[in-house]
Order: sequence, then structure tokens, then C-alpha cells
Amino acid sequence: MRLRLAVAAALALTVTACAPSTSSPTTAPSDGGARTGTLKVWLFDEPNRAPKDAVVKEAVAEFTAAHPDTNVDVAYLAVDTRSARFKGAFNDPASAPDVVEYGNTDLPEYAAAGGLADLGPAVTAWPEGADLSADARASATFQGTLLGVPWYLGVRALYYRTDVFTELGLRPPTSQAELTAAARTIRAQKPELFGIAVGGKYTFGALPFIWDAGGDITSINSAQSRAGLKAYTDLLKPDNCPPQQCADLTGGKTVELFASGKAGMAIIGNFNRAAVDAGAAKGKYAVVPLPGSKPGSIAPAFAGGNNLGIMRNSQRPALAADFLTLLASKKYQTKMYAAMGNLPTLQAARAEVAGQDPFLKPFLSTIDAGTKFVPLDPGWGKIDAQAVLPTMIEKVVTGKATVEAATDEAATAINAALGK
Amino acid sequence: MRGTRRLLDALAILLAVGTVFPIYWMVLAAVKPAGEIQSLQQRPWTLAPSWDSFHRVLAVDSFGRYFLNSLLVALVVVVLSGLCAFLGAVALTRFRFRMRTTVLVLFLIAQMVPIEALTIPLFFLVRDLGTQVPGVGLNTLGSLMLVHTAFTLPFAIWMLRGFVAAIPEELDEAAQLDGAGRFTVLWRILFPLVAPGLAATSVFSFITAWNDFLFARTFIISATDRQTLPMALLVFFKPDENDWGAIMAASTLMTVPVLIFFLLVRRRLVAGLGGAVKD
Amino acid sequence: MTTALPAVRTRPRRRVRTPLWLLLPAAVVLGTLFVYPMWQLGLLSVLDFRQAQVSGGQPTRFVGLANYTQLLGDAQFWSVLGATVFFAAACVLATLAVGAALAVLLTRISKVPRLLLSLAAMAAWAVPAVSGSTVWMFLFDTDLGLVNQTLGVTGLNWMYDRYTAFALVGAVVVWHSFPFVMITLYAGIEAIPRSVLEAAAIDGASAWRTFWRIMVPVLRPLLAIVVIQSIIWDFKVFTQIYVMTRGGGIAGQNLTLNVWAYQQAFAAGEYGLGAAIGVVMMVILLVVTLLYLRTLRRSGEPL
Repeated sequence: MRLRLAVAAALALTVTACAPSTSSPTTAPSDGGARTGTLKVWLFDEPNRAPKDAVVKEAVAEFTAAHPDTNVDVAYLAVDTRSARFKGAFNDPASAPDVVEYGNTDLPEYAAAGGLADLGPAVTAWPEGADLSADARASATFQGTLLGVPWYLGVRALYYRTDVFTELGLRPPTSQAELTAAARTIRAQKPELFGIAVGGKYTFGALPFIWDAGGDITSINSAQSRAGLKAYTDLLKPDNCPPQQCADLTGGKTVELFASGKAGMAIIGNFNRAAVDAGAAKGKYAVVPLPGSKPGSIAPAFAGGNNLGIMRNSQRPALAADFLTLLASKKYQTKMYAAMGNLPTLQAARAEVAGQDPFLKPFLSTIDAGTKFVPLDPGWGKIDAQAVLPTMIEKVVTGKATVEAATDEAATAINAALGK
Repeated sequence: MRGTRRLLDALAILLAVGTVFPIYWMVLAAVKPAGEIQSLQQRPWTLAPSWDSFHRVLAVDSFGRYFLNSLLVALVVVVLSGLCAFLGAVALTRFRFRMRTTVLVLFLIAQMVPIEALTIPLFFLVRDLGTQVPGVGLNTLGSLMLVHTAFTLPFAIWMLRGFVAAIPEELDEAAQLDGAGRFTVLWRILFPLVAPGLAATSVFSFITAWNDFLFARTFIISATDRQTLPMALLVFFKPDENDWGAIMAASTLMTVPVLIFFLLVRRRLVAGLGGAVKD
Repeated sequence: MTTALPAVRTRPRRRVRTPLWLLLPAAVVLGTLFVYPMWQLGLLSVLDFRQAQVSGGQPTRFVGLANYTQLLGDAQFWSVLGATVFFAAACVLATLAVGAALAVLLTRISKVPRLLLSLAAMAAWAVPAVSGSTVWMFLFDTDLGLVNQTLGVTGLNWMYDRYTAFALVGAVVVWHSFPFVMITLYAGIEAIPRSVLEAAAIDGASAWRTFWRIMVPVLRPLLAIVVIQSIIWDFKVFTQIYVMTRGGGIAGQNLTLNVWAYQQAFAAGEYGLGAAIGVVMMVILLVVTLLYLRTLRRSGEPL
């Protein structure tokens, strides 16, 4: 017996010794790395990316003018497959880009993977850094280390078509029941439109319903969560948004549907404003907070936002910090607001845009009403990459599983990923 | 009898049209103006062909670069794998040694290995290799050349065997009697005779490397200038509305070289497939 | 078919030392990039190897068969496995049926249609998997697709139902792979002496009978290769599934082992689990092909 144990132990040891080498995070060049050369930047691809592209190009031009012998190689990543790209970059130090945009939900996972550099010193040295609110800093901090600069905030609210509402004599909904009724009326009266565009892959469209019902991701199979999920999936019915067309819609596709005038309403963000303005819905829409089930209440929105970070494996951290702080500066945050509708994170920039633009009012009310967030845990990244919540929604929508079965299955996966 | 034949002829033509139709539709969509692609009344022709989509693909998204990358990878793979396969095929047909059957069976089994399953270990292998040997690590075209050379090799050897075996041994025996060395026999006698077969074999190596999606996706992490075509194509699947015109133009660009290659070696390909299986 | 090259096959009489130097290049390439990774794949599948180990500096642990037990206990695994086998089998059968039928058709038609059909097939064969997938997606697009518009249906999403989605992907796979079967078998049939076929025709044998009674037995070794190649290719379909169903379809209904393994490893960071799926896949493929080879051997055919 003892011998067998010893053999097993020896075997285990040899086996692990032959495994592919693991790379513990390398330390950044202490002198800040080269000041010339190519800076690789990863940003998110988005619906109607052109205005974002234009602002980034402007920043790049300004940057390369101030930094001789540099150029900036910007790549836009598809959001739904970003996980594999980021993991590849963590796994191979030599291939890592320098500056990256990432969702604030991804922070714990990336931090645990050792992928992001400590930005504390860089932000302290940055004059505008002091203008970041404590909340904003906290949202980019994981276990005491600042791993990003919040670039913009994004919350979602209810966009609706003013012309359609007027024609059908509808009022902007102030409760979930009114929302559902309005959606069905639109679909019934104008069959070429979806009442409210919702999608099976649109996690952040569904979560407000779950949160409003008192549920949460960590208790996805509770009675409250189930009630919220049911409220959302009931919208994916032929009388509003038929499963055939809507079951595999992502958030981006619902933006496109609303923008091109194929939906009466949609749950989309302040950052989608440019995309909507680029379509047929331009000038024919207004925004109100997404109502909760209690009349007059606001459903808790997901406190979205993207950070800019520097990869731990970046070979040019100093140059990367220069570019990052330029892109995160008040000047470019304001420009990004004008281009895309991205809500600035620097207090000075936010005050400037909020004061002069009534468009932001419903979004700010939504924030004031209280927002929610996904579990602050590295396991969230896995839940997201394994599409646990979209799968759950789609199973209900397509009738492959009941609300109960789908939520139980999702709960198992969520608990496993969160290590419970 | 004649009636049946006519009927079958018609059927064959119909099937031929059906088979090429998707290709026709691809090229057509590539030259349609944007308005006609978005149309809810698709017509199987266009009266206003436009190069807009090709312009978007080539000028805006530097598809030319990706095209060259793909071509470079595929050609290197063709040469390397062809060379190794030629030598291996000669060894397996011209010599009778112990373990010969074992080696043969191993090559057959190698073809069954799902290379996709090997992505995971290969990712780490290539990463570690890259720290030792410059130019073959992740994010380089070299990494793609390496793995595809390996993956195309077993089939190439298997197929080339037929071609080598078809050359009468009397030829190299005569040359050896004339005092030619082993090396001379190999390169001066056998190689030219096997060359047509090599061309057919290379088609398979070429398309394997050219079509590769998985490894390009996994290995080329952040080097945008080292992407290959299949990955670059997916850029036009947008989060909002797919740019079908550009997707079809890019697909067309991707298809044309293979099509040309195929039609060029058509006859030999048929013979080669026969050879590969006739043992 | 050994009759084709009898002189060569029966006389490789130089019994010499292993021609190492000729095999060396191939051996080096395959050793490093095939054999070694296979060993590593097996190794990874018994390790706790996740993102935290790969880049987070956590120690790698030997976990024995834990990855496999997790896999076998996962309902999704069985569903994906079933779908993979079913899909592959359907693709293989369809490819063989279409390819063989067209090969026979080729022998019975006039020159021009024959040329047209073989050129068309060559063209379909040449189309890269990614391009082929995209154009079929466009043809079957819900709103802009020619098919829906011609049928006059609005809002029919071909990817909505699990089976129509698989059928559509399968159609693309068959479209890509039937030319190989057709051309190979046609070459084989052409090599059958005319007199044999003519004799059958004079005896009044139907096309169906001629095919099964004369062509199939003669073409057996050829069919073996074609079947094996089809199994190998169709079991491993990745690109078409990945591109057309956008990584597995609605609620993951169109996942196959390949795509699933890839996502577990590279998206979810479960490299050990992904490797275990890869091992399972490899074992299935080896067993299927070896079984097939054995039945061939039993029936007296040389490899």
C-alpha cells in the first residue's frame, strides 16, 4: 500500500513536471521600456463603430505627433469572442498588446489571470487622474490594486419611438405592465415592427428584470429570479418579438433593430446613441428609464462601463501609459461622448456634458435610482465565456426547458464557476 | 436508350448548375451595389456592377496583406511538406526494411488524429518553442507553417507512394549501374518523374494551409499584420449589421487562387487519388 | 486494385538497413508536432490546468481522472457527443451517397455534361470552408437570403431549430466533400475494363445492379479510403459549425465535441477539461476507423 502510494506520488510528480510550462507574470521593464516603436491597442468593436474610430484616430494622430518614431496599431475585438483573445495574450507574454479596453465585469478574471499592470503610479503621475471620483477608482480596483482607468460609464434605459407612440396614442411606460402592454399594442397594430426588441443573448437587457423582481445572479434559481426571468422571456413571444427572430439576438443586434426603425422600443445604452442616430430612427425617439414592476419605479440597471488598462506583459509600459492617459483625458472623453454617447468618468468632463445635454437625464436618473453589478469574482469571466445566462434565456425562449429547469441548470454552472 | 441518355445529360447539367450556384451567388453579391444587397427582393443578376465591396475589402481593411500572408504560409507548407513526403515515400516504396508496415500504419493512423484536438497542447508547445527559436512562436506566420507542414505530411506521403511506386525500379537500377550515386538517383531520376504527382499532392497541402481557420485564430493573438484570410474575413461580421457585400468580396478573393490551382492540376489530381488508393 | 501495379508491388526486394536518412525529415516533423503534442494532450487531460495555472502563477496539480469524471457526469457532454456522432454519421452517409450516385452518373452521360459536372464539383471542392459557410449563410439569411425570399416566407430563421440548423451545416459539409468522393470513385470506375461493364449491360443488368454487383466489389479498397477519409473529415468539422452557428447555435444546441473542446479551453480557460474532450474525440475516431479497417481485412482486402 505504501509502495503504491509512493509510486502514485512519484508518478504525479513526474507528470506535473512534464506539463507545459506555466508562465508566472513577468515583471515589466523597470525603466518603462522602449519609447519608440509600435504600440498595440485593443478596443471593443461596437454597433456603428465609425465615430469611435474617428475619435481614436484623432488621438493617435496627436499621440504620434508628440512621440516621434512611434505608431499605434489599433485592433477592434469582437466583444462576444474577446475572452479567447485576452486569454491568448495572457498566456503568451510575447504576443500581448499594450493598451486594452475591457469591460468592468472582466476585471476580477483578468486580475486573477495576472494579465493587467498596476496603474497606481501612472495615474498618480497623471494630472487629470485626481479628477477620477473615488467610486470610479474603486470600480477599477481589485484587491487593492488599481488595474485600469475607467473610460466611460454605460447604463441602459428605454429608447422608444415618439412617432409610433403618438400615432398609436401610447404614453411612455411607467411600469412593467404598461411596457408589456405597449409592446403588444405596437406589434398588433404595426406587425412590421417588434414591440420591444429583446434578445436571448442580451444578458444586460434581461438582468434588470431579474433584479427588479428581487432576484440576483448568485441566486438565479430563487423564486424572485425566476419571476424576473419569466417577465423577460414573456417578451420573446410572437406577440412582441418572435423567438424565431429574437432568440439569438445580442444586445448589439437589438440596437441595430431599433436604429433601423424595426422596433418600437429597445433597452439600450447611452453609448449607443450614435448608432441610433445613424439609422432611420434618428430624430424620432426619446428615452425614459426602464420601468420596474411597481408603477413609477425604475428597474435597477447594470452599472456598465469600460476601463482602459495596460497589459502586464507590455514591453512599453511608459509609452502605453502616455497613450492611455491621452485617451482617458477630459478632451477625449468629451469627444467620445459627442461621438458615441459614452458617459465620461472624469468629474470635470461629466459635469460639462451633463449640464448641457438633456439626453442624459434618464440615464442619470437610472444611476440615481441605484444600479447593480455582476459578482465581483474571477469566476464571472467563466460564466460569461460559457454563456451560462444566454443559454438559460434561450432554453426558456425556445421551449427547450422550463423556467425552473433552466434556472436550476444555470445555478449549478454559476455555483461551480464561483467555487461554491 | 438515347432518350435516357438525354435525360441524364439534362440532369447532370442541372446538378452542375446547382453545385456552382452558391459560387455564382458569392461573386454576384460581391459586385452588387450596396442597395441591391440590402434589398428584400434579391435578383439573380445585377445591372449596375460596382467595385465598392472590393474597394472596402482591399483598401480599407488591407486585405491584400492578409492575402499575401495566406499565400506565403500555403506555399511554404507545400514546399516543406512536399519535400519531406517525397523522401518518405521513396523510403517506403523503394526499400524493404523491418518495421516498414508499422511505419505505414502509423502514417495512416496519423491521418485519423483529430488535429483540432491537438490545438491545446500545440498552443503551449508553439509558445515555448517561440522563446527558443525566433520566428516560430505564437503570433508569427512561422508557427502556422510548422503545424500545417506536420498535418499535411501523413496524407502527402500516403498519396505520393502511389506515384513513386508507379516508376519502374529498372530505371533507378540502370542509373545505379551507370555509376550514379544514391543522391543523383533521387534527384535526377526519381524527382522529375514524381513531380506531376507532387503537384497533385500539393493541392491538398495547399488547401489545408489556405483554409485553416482554427490555428490562425488561436496562434495569431495580437499581430494584426500577420493575420491570414479566414480570420480577416470574420471582421465583416459586425455587431450590428453584417457587411454582406464585403464578406462576399473577401470570400471571392479567397476562393479564386484555390480555384485556379485546382483547375490547373485537375487531371493529375484524379490520377493521384487513384494512385493513392491503388497501393 | 493491386492488379494496377503488380510489377512494382511484388518486387521491393532490396532488404536493406532502414533508410533512416530518407525518413528523418518526416520523423522529426511528425515527432515534434504530432507525437509529442499527443502525449501532452493526454498529460493535460489528467492535470488541473486552468487559466490560474497558465498565467496566474498557480501550481499545476495532478488530478488523475477528475477531468474525465467531471465530463462523464455532465449531461451536456452526452448531448454534445450524441449530436457529434449523429451529425458526422449523417454527413458521411450523405456525402457517400451523393458522391457515388454522381460518379455513376458521370459514366453514363455525354462528354460535355460530364465536363461541366466535374468542373462544377471541382469548383465546389476548391471553395474554402470559411467562404463556403458565409455564402450559404447569406443564401439562407432570414431577411436578405434568396431562399426565404424565393419561398416567400418571412422571418424564418434556419438556425432556430436544432435540426434544420444541423441540416444546413450538413448540406455545406456535403457540398464541400462530395466532389472528393465523386472524382475518386469515377476514376476507379473508369479503370474497370470496359468489357466487364458492357457484358453486364448486355445481360440487361440495371444500373443499380451493375453498381452493387460489379462496381462495389471491384472498388472496395477505393471505397475504404473514401469512407475513412469522410469519417475523418466529417467527424472533425469545425469551421462550418463555428462560423455558421456562431460558435454553437442557440443555447449551444449545435455544439460538436470539437467546438465545445475549443470553447472550454480557450474561452473558459479550462485547458485540462478541453484536453480530456480532445482525448475522448481521438479515441472515438481511432476506434471507428480501426474497426472499419478490421472488417475490411476480415473480408480479405489488403490495406
